[in-house]
Amino acid sequence: MSVQDRIKETVTSNPVVLYMKGTPQFPQCGFSSTAVQILKHLGVQNLHTVNVLEDAEIRQGIKEYANWPTIPQLYIRGEFIGGCDIMKEMFQSGELKKELEGL
Amino acid sequence: MVTPESIQASITAGIDCTHCTVVGDGHHFEALVVAQAFEGLRSVRRHQLVYAALGDRMREEIHALSMKTLTPDEWKA
Repeated sequence: MSVQDRIKETVTSNPVVLYMKGTPQFPQCGFSSTAVQILKHLGVQNLHTVNVLEDAEIRQGIKEYANWPTIPQLYIRGEFIGGCDIMKEMFQSGELKKELEGL
Repeated sequence: MVTPESIQASITAGIDCTHCTVVGDGHHFEALVVAQAFEGLRSVRRHQLVYAALGDRMREEIHALSMKTLTPDEWKA
């Protein structure tokens, strides 16, 4: 399976996926840490995280998948939502909470 | 070392900005980009336009860039 196919399978078979540096317990970048905290604050239970530092192919492939050069990256219901700045904006505006409703 | 000025130059070369400021310490940068081109676009598309303007520099040189992307009307508000 190609990297792009692996990513597609991950983001479509899990309702909320965060590609990040490190793990929720031990984030290895401030932006990834912020992203996790926002999702925790919103009470996301079924968060699936992928540590890109453990997989060089995914780390590169995810940038191409979403045409987005940075990490973290959030996907909800298979759709690319954005990185840390956009998560912050959408958290403050209440949009992110709406996106997560019903999951 | 990457300078805020060089990032600003790349952004303004790729996007017709009415305003663009970049600050940073060589590792972490923050950009404020105001452009009419953002009108009607969600943040994710706006940020993609800025990333496109930075091109390979995002892969090779710039590791941490926060940005705010506004239309001229939003900036005035």
